[in-house]
Amino acid sequence: MSQYENMIKRQRKWMFYLLAILVLGAGFTPYTSIFLGLLLGSVVSFYNLYLLQKKIVDFTEAVAKEEKARGLGTFSRFAAAALAIVIALRFEEDVNIIAVIIGLMTSYPVIMIDFAMFKNKD
Amino acid sequence: MGALAAAIAVGLGALGAGVGNGLIVSKTVEGIARQPELKGQLQTTMFIGVGLVEAVPIIGVVIALMVM
Repeated sequence: MSQYENMIKRQRKWMFYLLAILVLGAGFTPYTSIFLGLLLGSVVSFYNLYLLQKKIVDFTEAVAKEEKARGLGTFSRFAAAALAIVIALRFEEDVNIIAVIIGLMTSYPVIMIDFAMFKNKD
Repeated sequence: MGALAAAIAVGLGALGAGVGNGLIVSKTVEGIARQPELKGQLQTTMFIGVGLVEAVPIIGVVIALMVM
């Protein structure tokens, strides 16, 4: 399995762990709106991460086979983030908007920590 | 004024992301075309680069929607 596929697997695993913790927080703590916001942001962040991973595989395969390459899905990711914020603004009493913004950024620490931990091991 | 602020935030954010992504993608395509056996390593580098470049414009979109 290539270095990239290993990295994708590890990142997916850590995002699922994080989502599980947030679901437990939303269900069993009194800070429901904060955890719901974090959950919404993290789900969208996970979707963005998945889309980026998939689009990069498609793009590089197309380049290696000398086929016509399609885009990287930048605007799909912007639109997903905008959708999360619109949902948070629509249900302002149930979802904390600052938590949504923090949730949207969760995939970046996952990427950076994973890279820092495994850059010499693969 | 809110709409103008939102437009400037998203527009300049997307401009920066466009330039950054363009540089990353052009170098990756060049690398894969020269050495296709290094594809896995180049994919990883491209993934981290594109991921980090797009963090700031996404924040820009969020701020624009909140300002509006």
